[in-house]
Amino acid sequence: MEGIYAIWQRDVIKFFRDKARLFGSFAMPFMFLILFGSGMSGALSSMIGGNTAGPLADFDFVEFMFPGIIGLTVFNTAIFSALSVVQDKEFGYMREILVSPMSRVSIAIGKVLGGSTVAVIQGLMMLVFVPFIGVSINFFMVLKLIPVMFLVAFAISSIGLLIASSLKTSQGFQMVVQILIFPMLFLSGAMFPLNGMPAWMDVIVKINPLTYSVDMFKKIILQPEQMAPALREAMGLDLTIFDHVITFSQEIIVVLIISVIFVTLATIKFSKSEG
Amino acid sequence: MGKNIVEVTGLKKYYKDFQAVKGIDLTVEEGEIFGFLGPNGAGKSTTINMLSTITNPTGGTAKINGYDNVKEKNKVRESIGLIFQESTLDEKLTANENLMLHCKFYKVPKNKREERIREVLQIVDLEDKRSNIVETFSGGMKRRLEIARGLLHYPRVLFLDEPTVGLDPQTRNHIWEYILKLKEKAGITIFLTTHYMDEAEICDRVAVMDHGELIALDTPEKLKNDVGGDIIEISTTDNQDAKKKIEESYQVDVTETSEGKLTFQVSEGSSFIVDFVKESDIPIQTVNLRRPTLNDVFLHLTGREIREETVSQRDLMKRSMRGPH
Repeated sequence: MEGIYAIWQRDVIKFFRDKARLFGSFAMPFMFLILFGSGMSGALSSMIGGNTAGPLADFDFVEFMFPGIIGLTVFNTAIFSALSVVQDKEFGYMREILVSPMSRVSIAIGKVLGGSTVAVIQGLMMLVFVPFIGVSINFFMVLKLIPVMFLVAFAISSIGLLIASSLKTSQGFQMVVQILIFPMLFLSGAMFPLNGMPAWMDVIVKINPLTYSVDMFKKIILQPEQMAPALREAMGLDLTIFDHVITFSQEIIVVLIISVIFVTLATIKFSKSEG
Repeated sequence: MGKNIVEVTGLKKYYKDFQAVKGIDLTVEEGEIFGFLGPNGAGKSTTINMLSTITNPTGGTAKINGYDNVKEKNKVRESIGLIFQESTLDEKLTANENLMLHCKFYKVPKNKREERIREVLQIVDLEDKRSNIVETFSGGMKRRLEIARGLLHYPRVLFLDEPTVGLDPQTRNHIWEYILKLKEKAGITIFLTTHYMDEAEICDRVAVMDHGELIALDTPEKLKNDVGGDIIEISTTDNQDAKKKIEESYQVDVTETSEGKLTFQVSEGSSFIVDFVKESDIPIQTVNLRRPTLNDVFLHLTGREIREETVSQRDLMKRSMRGPH
């Protein structure tokens, strides 16, 4: 147990020590939210008739994007946290870890928990944008966000560890992750409402774990149950699977199952890849 | 000395088309400084990797502190400390953080940690650097910190793989002082590899390895005696001529060193040298009589010198295969 704690602690210490990474992590969400979000906002609302009276007048693209940005941040941080595993191999520290009497399973779990914790902290840091974009978030929502973020981060960190255990260089890892990030992000509903998609795309959306993650953040932050049905539909908030509108608790279960699958695979792969 | 702390029988490691270690037998007694000597690529690191549970052997067995290296990996890991050729410190963390993490990895009791960290830092003279980030350390300081870290869990055997490689001579000497201090203070068994001859002289016993096989195993003194007699080293104005004359009149093999000196072996060096200088008509400039070094031992056993600088193809291959990657 203490081994898990030690591995976790190292990642957290290093996260807070690396100031450049801390501030750099604001750059991408900021650009998406302010440059992309604000730019798209006007165009989108005129397209869906938001300039006319009616329920759609309340459509605000930046507000729509905000839960997706939290999802993006958690996703990015969690998956890149596994980069440290590859770097530890490159810089030698992995040998110090691997020749210790700790079990491979504790090391893998410690790494996933470390990545998840850091991802939750980064996700929470995105809340500094709240006053500038006009979403209202109360304390209760934040309390609900934290465990959900953690669950999502845990699943994604496990995917990261699975990739990292299969690769030897950080360049290789970064390549693979870059290739994964964009389709997962664009087909998750984080950037635009998932309405009227071609059937094949819809399949990818539904198998993308990020879809359910982002939708959970939306359900917490945007409170779709208080919206007019037309607006809810325009924002793509009625996520259905096999014609069934999926509920928040069902989404939790989906992400939980994904977490268990990937943390198991990652642990097996990690234990096997090292001698 | 006491019981055997390391017992190796028929240990071998084969890679696809390369036999790194071809079945070696050796035992190390508790409290010994045991040197593993050989050129780069001889199979020293592969052997250490097998002894320290990083690599599984292709055949044979190894036991450390009574535990089997394959079946009781965790017990072996608790019994050993490892200092690798390459640094395995986390350079973004402080010395203290590196040591604290190690305590946690090895389950050092909580109430002992502070005391032990102080103790090991004192052995390597780094007490005042405790809260500094490792990145700011010099090469020698990093090495010392690694040695300190390797001692934290009170291992029975400390493995040092080329502990002084890449360090300047002065730092090398310091590291050796610390290692000897360790032996005296902690009574720990030290198993080290090196390709520096002078370092191997410090060991209680030396195993000479070449091409994956042990070709000799004894005390440095005995090994040197086996070379046979003393080494005469002369410099002359005409080496070619002198070489021929010495070989003819004394029936010895004369080799010319890279510094342009002639060396050969005789059984009774001190009496030989008197007659030699008196009688020979060779234009001698300097004469030097010395006891054989381990370098001469290696030369005697293999017909080659241990080269420190040349990196062979095989060596590169070995490096890329080494480690847990």
